[in-house]
Amino acid sequence: MTMILILALVTGAILFGIGVYGALSQTNLVMIMMGVELMLAGAMVNLVAFWRFLHPEAYSGQMFVLVVMTVMALEMAVGFGVAIARFRAKGSVEMEEAEDLKG
Amino acid sequence: MSILVVLLSLAAGAYALAVIERWAVHGHLSLTGPAWAALALLGRESLLARKSDRLFFELGPVLLLVAGLMAVAVIPLAPGLIITDLATGALFLNAALAYVLVALIMAGWGPNGAYAMIAGWRFLGQFIAYAMLIVMPITAVAMRAESLSTVEIVASQEQLWNVLYQPMGFILFVVAAMGLAWLPPLDLPDATGELAGGVEAEYTGVRLAVLRLARMVIILALAGATVTFYLGGWLGPWLPPWAWSAIKILVVAAAMLSVGRYMPRIREARYLALSWKLGISLALANIFVVGVIALVVPI
Amino acid sequence: MTVQMIFLAFFGGAAVWFGVVVFRTHSMVRSALALLFSQTAIGAMFLVMQAEFLGVLQIMMMATEMSIMAIFMVMFMMDPGGLGGMDMSHQKRFSIGAGVSAAVVAIAVALLSDWGPAAEQVVDAEAQTRALGMELLGRSMMIFETAGITILTAMIAATAVAIPVQNLSSKDDKEASE
Repeated sequence: MTMILILALVTGAILFGIGVYGALSQTNLVMIMMGVELMLAGAMVNLVAFWRFLHPEAYSGQMFVLVVMTVMALEMAVGFGVAIARFRAKGSVEMEEAEDLKG
Repeated sequence: MSILVVLLSLAAGAYALAVIERWAVHGHLSLTGPAWAALALLGRESLLARKSDRLFFELGPVLLLVAGLMAVAVIPLAPGLIITDLATGALFLNAALAYVLVALIMAGWGPNGAYAMIAGWRFLGQFIAYAMLIVMPITAVAMRAESLSTVEIVASQEQLWNVLYQPMGFILFVVAAMGLAWLPPLDLPDATGELAGGVEAEYTGVRLAVLRLARMVIILALAGATVTFYLGGWLGPWLPPWAWSAIKILVVAAAMLSVGRYMPRIREARYLALSWKLGISLALANIFVVGVIALVVPI
Repeated sequence: MTVQMIFLAFFGGAAVWFGVVVFRTHSMVRSALALLFSQTAIGAMFLVMQAEFLGVLQIMMMATEMSIMAIFMVMFMMDPGGLGGMDMSHQKRFSIGAGVSAAVVAIAVALLSDWGPAAEQVVDAEAQTRALGMELLGRSMMIFETAGITILTAMIAATAVAIPVQNLSSKDDKEASE
């Protein structure tokens, strides 16, 4: 009866894959952040599936999902802070125009 | 069965609210006015703006209506008269009402009009102001009830209504709810006379009818939430429970519709400053005080 | 279990579909809202998996987050309406390869592992919420508090980065120009 667990894990894996594609292929900072959000969402699906189908008595699983949600919110807050600073200084948040960050 | 009863009373409530709003705005009471206005809207042509985002334009009012209906689903009107008694009802109410923002942004972006778009994004600023002040007073209410279920929350007010137990939370919640339902003086998204109707500017005909109906449902849902969380829900002497719910919800909704009309409109920046500097401090103090009372004197 | 599986597959499919739409559409507001609906579908998956609190929380939080995402998209993109049909991506082949291989590896691990028997029953939502609260303020309190402090730090850091630089010389310039 682990078919349902595998179904959830496969969904999480596909979401993670789409997130990786987005984070690597997009040229805009905000779109890259959307890719990262999708990756984290895929991880959350897996965590809830593990909690539900493998260890429903251990609430650390749900706790971990809450921490991931916090991380998603933080990533947005800090990312947009950086985006605003970058936009003010350089007038764009395009990755192609961010050669100066290479060092 | 109870779903049908709730939906029918919702329709009746929405009509009553339309009558009250007409009375508050135009100054004369007309019981048939909203019916004629609705018929006129249904008969009118549904215009579509050029280069509009058709999907969002059509979906915005519908999503608004769905969000309102989802919020109504967890509000108990009498013992047993509730669409679904979720264990996380109070949180679910928030989740449903968060989509009001999404629907308004869609409706503002969709028609490709400057006024509508400004109004939609303005509501985002307003949302950031009121969002915390919806959630934090509810936290204090749930602390007293020791449950997130709306039925439990009403039952916990048997001895003393929450409006007396935590008056500060009540005031914050009502003000935030008025922001959520974009009622004056916090009516930035459809600021009549300034943005030419804002989000409603580009809507005509059936779509406008759906938009207005959805707004009535949202006001009713928020009045229902205020009654459930602070005014003891169906509790009350002499009359049957459903009558108490109906009276309280209509009175709260009428007060929300009429009181703010005598105040000047508040800019979203000022509203943001007020609610983050003053409102959140008060909400935190409210949570602290309720926690202390709940530990020391169990009522 | 079968009904649960059908619903899980439906919402999983919806999440993946909207996830693809995020990077396929040219309109930036559509892109952000597609991500919102993808996350909402994931919240619905949580509800199907009987994690009621987490599902409702996910559905609530993402509505706000993605709406804010939408306004930043409109602010920072060159063509937010997508009417020009600009291509906003680079190193396509490499990214498709990386995405596909990441997904394939994860799926292979999921299929090849021996997960043991799946749990049939979980406690009802009320008991779950209570147990989660006990976990948060009991055994995992330190982690929870750390998350709170991290949020505070991030809020201060983001604000500090985002406000415009106000140094003394520019202030003098402004006074001189007035």
